Amino acid sequence: MNKAIIIGVLIILVIAIGLAIHISNSKEIRVRVTTTTSLYATGLLDYLADEFRKEHPNTFFDFIPVGSGEALRRAENGDACMVFVHAPSLEKQYIEKNVITSRKIFAYNYFIIAGPIDDPAGIRDSNSVVDAFRKIYEAGEEGMAKFVSRGDNSGTHVKELSIWSLTNLDPHGRPWYLETGSGMSNTLLVANEEKAYVLSDIGTYLKLKKEGKLPDLEMLYSNDTELINIYSIYVVSSCTGAERQAAQEFAEFIINKGQELIANYGVKEYGQRLFNPAKNNIEWLEEVWEELSEK
Amino acid sequence: MDILNEILDITIRSLWVSGSATIISSLWSILLAYKLSRSPGASRYIIPFFEALIGIPTVLIGLLLYMILSSRGPLGLFRLLYTPYAIILGQAILITPLITSICYRVLSSSWNTYGELAYTLGASEKQIMAIVLRESIPGVIAASVMGFSRAIGELGIALMVGGNIRGFTRVLTTAIALEVSKGEFEIAVVLGAILIVLVVAISFSLRILRRMYRV
Repeated sequence: MNKAIIIGVLIILVIAIGLAIHISNSKEIRVRVTTTTSLYATGLLDYLADEFRKEHPNTFFDFIPVGSGEALRRAENGDACMVFVHAPSLEKQYIEKNVITSRKIFAYNYFIIAGPIDDPAGIRDSNSVVDAFRKIYEAGEEGMAKFVSRGDNSGTHVKELSIWSLTNLDPHGRPWYLETGSGMSNTLLVANEEKAYVLSDIGTYLKLKKEGKLPDLEMLYSNDTELINIYSIYVVSSCTGAERQAAQEFAEFIINKGQELIANYGVKEYGQRLFNPAKNNIEWLEEVWEELSEK
Repeated sequence: MDILNEILDITIRSLWVSGSATIISSLWSILLAYKLSRSPGASRYIIPFFEALIGIPTVLIGLLLYMILSSRGPLGLFRLLYTPYAIILGQAILITPLITSICYRVLSSSWNTYGELAYTLGASEKQIMAIVLRESIPGVIAASVMGFSRAIGELGIALMVGGNIRGFTRVLTTAIALEVSKGEFEIAVVLGAILIVLVVAISFSLRILRRMYRV
């Protein structure tokens, strides 16, 4: 058994040396960023980070794409230094717990309701989003329409639930209400297959539509007050040292120089902005954010 | 050809991460299996327990390991979370029950066939171990290949403790999950095909190697 002991010691040595190399290598600054998958999937964050790194080559951003709920929960555990999210009511809970601080609204766009081209519920000319959801509910009860929900506690899902609560109707458990429990793209593809209505952020919808993956879906309703989608950056309270400083510099970069980059992002590809920069509308956005966070 | 480079990078990372996990796990699993095969009392309880754990959900191991490695967790100060080493550790734990229980069967039957004979012929404990292990090589390799296949194909651990960080902890399975969530089903299928081809190729080449050296 002596050989076994020697082998065991060798393995432990190798692991220890590996660890030592790993730790000593960390001269570069790595910033751990949790972000919502939908935001990450548009490629905007990688683009902003690449531009920032032209001036700060020693800083690296580790983007960890998860849902808004998980992003904030990981921050609470001290496993992120920066958070990119779009779920005001959820954000408020974590602000109150002092997990995240110094909110910076950096971009906004709109949620849209997409649905089958023949629009069986007739939501095209609704007065409000609440009215549109009521029509979908009624059509659903009559067996003429379906609705696909994210069902994953993401920013988009939280938004959808807050609209349902305004209608005083509860679609949960109805046979026409399908919860996919998955990301926005997947949910849109399910809606396309099922010829169902769906609430989506405009970025993901445009991207998939452009790629020809949503032949049976069309943007049916949008509205620039109720369906606003506000993206914020936070620095996590428990984060310290060089990582915190880099995170703060990156946040400053995004709300200043980065604003123009955001405005032009994706315009060439999709013929339309995916995100609107927050800079010139910041007071209005702060107000709307406060309102949304109360829901 | 940026995307090809990225796919190559992800594939190589998958190979070394899961390969390291398999080697580490094999070493301790084989020793454990040998110990167990020589102590019928303990193995009566431990082997069924391990066999039951073979199908343990990977996200569960990922979650438990996340809680241990998290900066608030007991091993937080090592800063292992969101590194490839965390994935290696998790996968090594994941495949331990699988490799141990298969090796146990192989080693027990080798011991019955060769070990007892060697024992009656007066071989020392070390000599017996050498004979039993040598005769069990094909079965032990098969167990390791199965372990590797399970490790490289798992998603939950890599996602929870690796974080799917581009160019650092993104492996084939987490890349597949991300591409699916982006709606890029075509890329996801290509990545899946790479994964299957790799596992099958490794299994066959080990079989061929074994034949070359044993005939």
